[in-house]
Amino acid sequence: MGTYLARRLLLGLLTLVAITFIVYGLARNMPGTPLTVQLGESDPSRKLNPEDQERMQRIYGLDRPWPEGYVRWLGNVLRGDLGRSLSRKQPVTTLIRERIGPTLLVSGTAFLLAWTLAIPLGLFASARSGRPEERALSLLLYVLYSFPTFVAALFLQIIFAVRLQGTAWGLPLFGMTDLPPDAGTAARALDVARHAVLPIVCQTYVSLAYDSRFIKANMEEAVRQDYIRTARAKGAGPARVLVHHAFRNTLIPLVTLLGLSLPGLIGGSVIIEQIFTWPGMGRLFFESIRERDYPTIMGLTLLFSLLTLAGQLLADLLYCVVDPRVSVE
Amino acid sequence: MRTSRPVHRPWSLPSRPLVACAVACLAIVASACGRRAEEAATKPLPAAAGSGSQAATKAAAAKDQPPEPFDPPALADLEKSVTWIDRPVRDGMAILRAEQAKQPAAVPVAEALALENTSADRNRTILAALGRLPAEGAADMDARIDRHVTGDLGSTNPIMISTTAEFDILGLTGFGLFSFGRDLEPFASAETVATWQTSVDGLLDKVVLRDDLVWSDGAPITAHDVAFSYQLIMDPRVPVPAVRSGTDQMRWVHAYDDRTLVFFHKEPLATNVWNINFPVLPKHVYESTWEADPTLKDSAAHVKLEEAPVSGGPYEIVERKRGQQIVLRRRESWSRVGGKKVREEPFFREVRFRIIEDPNTSLLALKAGEIAEMVLTPEQWTTQTSGPDYYRANTRVTAPEWVSFHFAWNIDSPFFADRRVRRAMSYAFDHDRMLEKLCFGLYQPAAGNFPDDSWMASKKKLQPYKQDLDKAEALLDEAGWTDHDNDGVRDKEIDGRLVPFEFSVLVNQQPLRIAICTLLKENLEQVGVRVNVRPTEATVIQDLTQKRKFQAYFGGWGSGTDPDSTENIWATGAGRNFVNYSNPEVDRLYVEGRRELDRGKRAEKYGRIQEILYDDQPYTWLYWRNSFYGFSKSLRGYVFSPRGPYHYSPGFSSLWMPRQE
Repeated sequence: MGTYLARRLLLGLLTLVAITFIVYGLARNMPGTPLTVQLGESDPSRKLNPEDQERMQRIYGLDRPWPEGYVRWLGNVLRGDLGRSLSRKQPVTTLIRERIGPTLLVSGTAFLLAWTLAIPLGLFASARSGRPEERALSLLLYVLYSFPTFVAALFLQIIFAVRLQGTAWGLPLFGMTDLPPDAGTAARALDVARHAVLPIVCQTYVSLAYDSRFIKANMEEAVRQDYIRTARAKGAGPARVLVHHAFRNTLIPLVTLLGLSLPGLIGGSVIIEQIFTWPGMGRLFFESIRERDYPTIMGLTLLFSLLTLAGQLLADLLYCVVDPRVSVE
Repeated sequence: MRTSRPVHRPWSLPSRPLVACAVACLAIVASACGRRAEEAATKPLPAAAGSGSQAATKAAAAKDQPPEPFDPPALADLEKSVTWIDRPVRDGMAILRAEQAKQPAAVPVAEALALENTSADRNRTILAALGRLPAEGAADMDARIDRHVTGDLGSTNPIMISTTAEFDILGLTGFGLFSFGRDLEPFASAETVATWQTSVDGLLDKVVLRDDLVWSDGAPITAHDVAFSYQLIMDPRVPVPAVRSGTDQMRWVHAYDDRTLVFFHKEPLATNVWNINFPVLPKHVYESTWEADPTLKDSAAHVKLEEAPVSGGPYEIVERKRGQQIVLRRRESWSRVGGKKVREEPFFREVRFRIIEDPNTSLLALKAGEIAEMVLTPEQWTTQTSGPDYYRANTRVTAPEWVSFHFAWNIDSPFFADRRVRRAMSYAFDHDRMLEKLCFGLYQPAAGNFPDDSWMASKKKLQPYKQDLDKAEALLDEAGWTDHDNDGVRDKEIDGRLVPFEFSVLVNQQPLRIAICTLLKENLEQVGVRVNVRPTEATVIQDLTQKRKFQAYFGGWGSGTDPDSTENIWATGAGRNFVNYSNPEVDRLYVEGRRELDRGKRAEKYGRIQEILYDDQPYTWLYWRNSFYGFSKSLRGYVFSPRGPYHYSPGFSSLWMPRQE
């Protein structure tokens, strides 16, 4: 166990260095620099003169070759400094700290909701496999799965934030809160919750559809196994066969999927955050790429890679828990 | 998405005359994402004309140096030796009020509110009835307006800003001495300035401030603040992103006492009037903090100021929620000093800027009454704002704006060095089809770089190019581009190699622009030229055009308040001269235009420039784009300038909401 962990951690560390090196290289080699973006947005009649441009290049560290920039970045990271955003002029850690809460609120809630609904739905679908109610449910889930979130978001906005506005069903159109900073904590919590409803619904329905189909597909496989026939033959009830015998044997792929969704929880959704003007991580990542804001891109890349690796490691370790036949040795 | 900044909201101007810096922007490209898409390509124009390429070169020569120390002559000596000419000190609001008093509304407000804006006539009617200032007591002085912005602020420090949203907010919170009216004529603002004079030789400007000005922390605003700000802006240690240029054309700014300022110029130029306009910081706040932290953003004191800046304008920032909203409140000390009313109160008690990047969400927000105004995209204007769900609470208006679009031809590429080829491109393109089918008849054709009705445009009434394939083919033949190998594509022997006429046009990823480029492709195929349309991210286009690595691109510019601001597009080797255009006569005319102080004679120079460009066709000019605005029915008082409804004086300050009955 100890050596396994050590090996995995070492491998993870190497992977991390490789990922960040490649992403840094790609980011620095994208056409355009933060300065290009700034020049494009500035008043042409008040353009920076060449000396000012050079000075900004120096400030942004663009005057040195990119591998050198990477080494400097890595050194700072090892000292615990993620740097300062070039476009927002704030430390990257502050930016991440500001954005992580709102993203977790939406993606965490959506994640819990999706799985609490997906497991019973998936089990129900495998129990009733082939019957009209299962066909109807499957059809509905396929429709949901195929329905783009940006269209769904727009419909939800039109219905709840425009048509039903002013009624008890009305919900806010965008943003995270409308209340002034001096409002009470309870009032603010309620206001934020109301703002979060539509983004959560959008983020929930797609994964709900996917997750429940995923469970059903794995169950289909399991219920054809000999041990299920045995269980039925020995007289176990249908519910017990389904949950105890079949479902437990589908936990391995499920745990893999859960492990892989860890970075997504923190990463948020670019599209949903954009549409609802939700101040989360997805928007931050997207904006930092557009702005060629290298320190922010790298800070987020590091965070997401770490979470991906951690999620995989966690999933691998959980295998032993859900399946006693698996051992890390 | 680039949170693009709308073209219409340039950074520039102050809606209250106050803001100092009239910067504006143009960008050739627009943003990548959604909304601006359309409007995008350009950002509007500069209010500031100050620096042309030559100026830039000179500035460059100045290196990273602060202005050389300057020993200003004593005021008494100046007064003895200098003859002063009085310059205009005006109140934009009073001018508008006087104008409107002469033209009574043709249609009652209720009637205009019931109209759907489906024709030019109705548009005029709506503007005439709703674009009026309130009668005495008619405005709701407690009203709040929710304005739309597409991106957050990077900074609230007036000298550190560069984006549209930042300039929009500076327009309400900043202190400034100068502004310009709807006709884009500069003047000193009567709200802050008592007198403004220029020396006969054009080398000095003298301004006397009013004595009833205070910062939001209660300290008086004085001439020393202005002189201090000049020195701060010019200090090489301070990383000023945008507002140094123009300002760097001055020799010195000196405060002789609390109210008297003299601006010393290096040369007597017609553009000096724009250079004396820069943002002003409170000296008493920054003089003790800036040297310890010249970035103006790192130290604890500066972090605090960034959150709650000291305001010199009619509003102050009271709340800033990053990525969501910025709330401004009217400040009492702007209009009342020492218990006495010294200036008009702004109509809105509170202005809330709400950040919404997604164009669909912002339109829904307008329909739901969450915001009271927004810039509409042409698609939104054409297809999404004509139903009862839109007109229930809103109306919409359109007005010409000085923003034009073009195909730009890289003169250094083997294809476009010959002006006959560039003219052939302009003749081959089906301008009528573009205007009618692709642009829905919403835009006016463009014949050149200055708007037809502007003072600087050629008086020759240049006609926009029209499609004439015969002429295009004849010109291409003449230039040596014929189909030697009979493969259907014209070619020419260059350096011993047969080069087919096939090039790429870079274009932003926006449907209308791509459609226009695709039309170019179809048209040119008819004359044996092959085009590859390359939809490309905005920043990449910027990068490639700045490095001159392209053959052709679709772009746009806003035109500035002063024609000199276009020098850096057309002068040899200038910063925005991406197409490598070079014409000694044009270079000379720009220099002469800047030195000529007589408006009529200046106009002749710029008119001549337009005629030369028309013949040379370094661009194929396509159209002037209108601005499109959606307004809540509860809003009144919007009046459009060539820079939109906000960025001039009074601009945003003329908007109001009626008192609820």
